[in-house]
Amino acid sequence: MAQATRIVIEARGLKKQFENVLAVKDLSFHVLEGECFGLLGPNGAGKSTTMRMLNCVSQPNEGDLFVLGLDAKNQTQRIQHQVGVVPQEDGLDPDFSAFDNLYIYARYFGIARREAKKRAQELLRLMNLEDEQDKGVYEMSGGQRRRLTLARGLINEPALIMLDEPTTGLDPQIRHFVWEYLEGLKLKGKTLILTTHYMEEAERLCDRVAIMDKGEILAIGTPREMIETYVGQEVVEFVCRPSEIDYYLSKYRETYEYQVLNNKVRLFIKEGDNPKSIMEGIDSEMITLRRASLEDVFLKLAGYKLSN
Amino acid sequence: MLELIKDMTSFPKWGAGVFTVWTRNYMYFKYTFLITLFWVILEPSLYLFAVGKGVGMFVGKIDGVSYIEFFYPALLCSAGMLVSFFESTYACFTRLQHQKTFQTILFTPVQADEIGLAEILWASCKGFLGVLGVLLVSSLLGLVNSVWILPALIILFINCWVFAAFGLLITSYVKHWDTFIYAQSGFIIPMSLFSGTYFPLYSLPDWAQSFAYLLPLTHSVMATRFLLEGQINPMLLLNVGMLLFLAIILSNWAVSRLKKRLIV
Repeated sequence: MAQATRIVIEARGLKKQFENVLAVKDLSFHVLEGECFGLLGPNGAGKSTTMRMLNCVSQPNEGDLFVLGLDAKNQTQRIQHQVGVVPQEDGLDPDFSAFDNLYIYARYFGIARREAKKRAQELLRLMNLEDEQDKGVYEMSGGQRRRLTLARGLINEPALIMLDEPTTGLDPQIRHFVWEYLEGLKLKGKTLILTTHYMEEAERLCDRVAIMDKGEILAIGTPREMIETYVGQEVVEFVCRPSEIDYYLSKYRETYEYQVLNNKVRLFIKEGDNPKSIMEGIDSEMITLRRASLEDVFLKLAGYKLSN
Repeated sequence: MLELIKDMTSFPKWGAGVFTVWTRNYMYFKYTFLITLFWVILEPSLYLFAVGKGVGMFVGKIDGVSYIEFFYPALLCSAGMLVSFFESTYACFTRLQHQKTFQTILFTPVQADEIGLAEILWASCKGFLGVLGVLLVSSLLGLVNSVWILPALIILFINCWVFAAFGLLITSYVKHWDTFIYAQSGFIIPMSLFSGTYFPLYSLPDWAQSFAYLLPLTHSVMATRFLLEGQINPMLLLNVGMLLFLAIILSNWAVSRLKKRLIV
């Protein structure tokens, strides 16, 4: 990770109200230069609304937002010059070829024609899309479109890149390509902020994450810190008959934090506990001991929807 | 009400983005050039022959000129109106709603004001191309024989701007394609028939004449006829004033509305 010192994004008490839905309430966080910051949460948590405010295409009803030291209220144009956006719906222009999509987008930034063509060409090469450059957007596969959208977000050589669910709906190969690409950007010292509901993605890419639900941040920290604070080191996970759940809970409720999802029980083991002895006391064929993950934190903090 | 007045009187900000968004539309236009020429130029030309020449044969003279000479200035106006209106409604709505073109542009330094202005300017230019098409055919028929055509072209461009802005205003409210039919069949098409286009206004009953003066196209048609006949009179000033007024109010209103729709 590059040395993180300067604050690139600072949000204080952001609130966003749509007609009768309070999408984001009292949101505060900051993002440091050179880090990858993840916003995690279930669908409808307010991630995309938050992203739209950070992209300056939506104004908060209350609160202050500073991006790259500029006030998002009245300096949107200056912010947008320096930020790359990879939106969830790709928004590629179906009237044009892959190449023209990049070229036209570059022109919106006021990049001179020749330079715009050069950058479009370079990015197509970088994304392995050279053979697709004359294809229309509808002729391209989902993975190709996603790579084109990534390329588009980099056309203005931004120092800060915002990605809204960059790998949703992609097959594993493309997902790995995107991850490796984002890791490359981090190495170059770019600041990334992304939303995702894939915990694996967040754990792999993010230096710090914020878990959101119902328009609020429930917890914020490095994935490791969060796992240790909310879950512990290891998890004993087992499947049992629904009728047995109460029995096991009565046995372990006092000692361990736990979580129940349908007929699956997860016991969170703290340092110093002996997982072996616990496991011996459970009669289940589907029992495992594994390292605690961000997914456990996520399900614990925002997983009520699944347990009901 | 106050909101409405504010929308109508707040002037959108021009910037370099107007040019780049306009160019985006122009690039697409270049791909579909032939289709556009087909309906922008061929269709009005057919009207000129069928109505101007064909019906004109049975009409004789109106106000001392042949029917086709009476008719073609009005056709210049209504062709510009229709092309501009269609561009800033159906085509623009596709970009707004289905292609999300504007939403994507907003991630760049181009501002919503500039997108709105670019769309109006683009639709006006396309309408003006229709005007030039009719003009070309009219010239081939030997109808255009006055230098007054040059100031008339300015009026015709303003006319395109008025209907481009009106179209964008409708687009900014509309949620579905079908809604355009109300504006099209309820307003635009009737206007193309009753604004002193196919027959002089004075042949309408008094009440209908007064009503016709409220229609923007009436003023474009009157102003264009006056100029092509070389008549400079106070009425011409009123016509031009009315068109300019509408051009400004409608574009302010349309861009404000579009902005509210885009930035939520």
